[in-house]
Amino acid sequence: MENQPAANKFIRWFDPRNRQVGSWAFILNRITAIGLTIYLFLHLIVLSSLARGPEAYDSFIDLATSPLFKFGELFVIAGGIIHGLNGIRVGITSFGIGIRKQKEMFYVIMVISVIGTAIFAIKMFIL
Amino acid sequence: MTTRPEVIVIGAGFTGCAIAHDLLLRGIGATVIDRGEIASGTSGRTHGLLHSGGRYCVNDREAAIECIDENIILRKIAKQCIEFNQGFFIALNDNDLEYAPQFEKGAQECHIPIDKIPPQKALEMEPAMNPNLLAAYLVPDGTFDPLRLALAFAAHAKKNGAKFFTYYEAEGLILDGKGNVCGVKIWDRTTDRHIEMKADLVINATGAWAGKITEFAGLDVPITPTPGIMVAYDQRLINRVVNRLCPPDDGDILLPQRRMVVIGTTSFEVEDVDYIPVFEDQVQMMRERAIELVPSVQRTHMRGAYMAARPLVGKAQSGRSLARTFKCFDHQDLHGVGGFVTITGGKATTCRIMAEKTVDVVCAKLNISAECQTKDIPLIPYYEYYSR
Amino acid sequence: MSDIWNVTFIIARQKGDQARYYQSFPLEINPDEYVLDGIERVWAFHDRSLTFRHACHHSTCGACGMLVNGVEKLTCITPIRSVTNDGGIVKVEPLRNFPVVSDLVVDMSRMYANLGEADFYQVGSLKNTYLPIEKELPSDETYERLVDCIECGLCISACPVALTTPTYLGPAVLAAIQHGHEFNGEIIRSLEFADTEFGAWRCHSGFECSVVCPSNVDPAWRIMDLRKRIVGYRIKKLFGKK
Repeated sequence: MENQPAANKFIRWFDPRNRQVGSWAFILNRITAIGLTIYLFLHLIVLSSLARGPEAYDSFIDLATSPLFKFGELFVIAGGIIHGLNGIRVGITSFGIGIRKQKEMFYVIMVISVIGTAIFAIKMFIL
Repeated sequence: MTTRPEVIVIGAGFTGCAIAHDLLLRGIGATVIDRGEIASGTSGRTHGLLHSGGRYCVNDREAAIECIDENIILRKIAKQCIEFNQGFFIALNDNDLEYAPQFEKGAQECHIPIDKIPPQKALEMEPAMNPNLLAAYLVPDGTFDPLRLALAFAAHAKKNGAKFFTYYEAEGLILDGKGNVCGVKIWDRTTDRHIEMKADLVINATGAWAGKITEFAGLDVPITPTPGIMVAYDQRLINRVVNRLCPPDDGDILLPQRRMVVIGTTSFEVEDVDYIPVFEDQVQMMRERAIELVPSVQRTHMRGAYMAARPLVGKAQSGRSLARTFKCFDHQDLHGVGGFVTITGGKATTCRIMAEKTVDVVCAKLNISAECQTKDIPLIPYYEYYSR
Repeated sequence: MSDIWNVTFIIARQKGDQARYYQSFPLEINPDEYVLDGIERVWAFHDRSLTFRHACHHSTCGACGMLVNGVEKLTCITPIRSVTNDGGIVKVEPLRNFPVVSDLVVDMSRMYANLGEADFYQVGSLKNTYLPIEKELPSDETYERLVDCIECGLCISACPVALTTPTYLGPAVLAAIQHGHEFNGEIIRSLEFADTEFGAWRCHSGFECSVVCPSNVDPAWRIMDLRKRIVGYRIKKLFGKK
């Protein structure tokens, strides 16, 4: 009757219903981690195109400067900021510092992430 | 092939678990069944007071002496789940003061160690008590955790070989050709199967439900289920038990339990014990009585309210006048039905001696001569019940 | 003045090896009663085959933990009013992350076996049983009381790591180890028990345990404090060996 791990349980990791702020941070950390990892592989693949010469790289640059692509990059930026700052939050609380402020820390992180992403958005689209 | 006699105990409350413990120590096999979890009947819902006997020393000397003796024993063998900070009996008006001399005399005659404390000092010791108290006595009261006390006995019994089957509801008694009880018909509520278990003897330790079990054999025992209310508030305002110095009455005990205080209780009769709703007027009354003892209860919030059905022995008019001792009924003597014993009545504090007397009767019936050792053996940690 | 609400209890049922199914029970009930009272009524008046754990009915035994509308609650102190409205639903399921025995009953023996390894005691001196952060720390050491943790298992049910790692010790056990070490700093055995990949280092800061704890244990803080203690112990051991 042992409580075995199962695929449907991992789905529950991403279910924020009836959960509090700490769980939101847990979920976001994992989603951004998956996202950033996928992005890393894509990035490496793209960089390898440098080795194939100027034409391959140029056509990629055309794609990369398209508005849709840039919009997608905003998610990467947001993900990077959130994951990085949340990681610091987890690291600090892991050793007993600031546990009682863990919710507030998360709210601050989200605010910084929104502002940071907005700044990058402005730089990318308007300036 | 085992020649050890096997007994089925119906009821896994304090009495059932203590009986299993005693049986195993005397070399008799025990299987305990209960239609719910351990202590899910009256035992789980006990107030949690480890009685010093002070409450009964005036008008129920027998009960008081039982209490103080068992109080000392339980503190020795079941320390793991007892908060022992002593208790106060406080007088709040002239009627209470008139009761004081009887109280002192009764305590002395029942060898309950009491200490008369000047009101000022009592308030220093327990600042939350009613500042208008007129007299105070220190008594060796304590608080215990209801579930864990039962689990401690059960754990120790299990370690020695007792078997526990929870969610096994007794649906009938199996009679042999001569009309004696030789087993129990059981409904396994976890799998919805019906089975039978045979034994050399069956002990009915179901407390307030004792009458329901004896009915299976067409027998009657004089039990009056007598519920009372308990209300828990969400702050630990006192560290000692606070009792009202008066003849036993409603709402005269307020005790600390973890981060709460719990007031009890009332007393009224019912026929059907399976579900007793909480009556709002009683909740209100308990709150008023609690505030009389400890005024700052006013600032707390109610955390829980529940009813528990005590098994009082003897059918009578008013619940409170029944003696609170316990009775062991040997159905061979009473009704000519062998292999069947009922134990009921009593209070949580006296569970061990109830078990002792019952197992004495059982040993006599099974022709086993073995002394009771339960009063000297400290119980193993309660959580071992689950891990054995 | 007491209302009567019409509330539907939807209760998870499971017997033996069958799959779980849900049964609805419409009740007329006073909303100030507790969810456990509702479940008891269902058992008493509607279906005697319902099995559920309960004992003290006032949050000291820890037996009646269940999921109520998807959230871990101690049902004896959860008023119906706080989880639903008149005409609403109360969905009751057994706790997560424990094997289900039948209906609402789960098997917590692994948690208890681990608590045994932690040498957890239920009674401690008053001063040691409060969280260091609490302002009104009682100063008197001569009083004793039953500790906060009632072993209800709500924290383990809420923990996302316990969800996918059955061998994780869990917040309750780790909190108990920390608490024991607070009482008595000489205890090494339980620190070593926690110093494993399935012990204190498995926590990933979900913080749900502290949110659902009905009893002021704050397991999240305790796990992090336990890590500090383990690191301190390891450092001392390192220098002790030299």
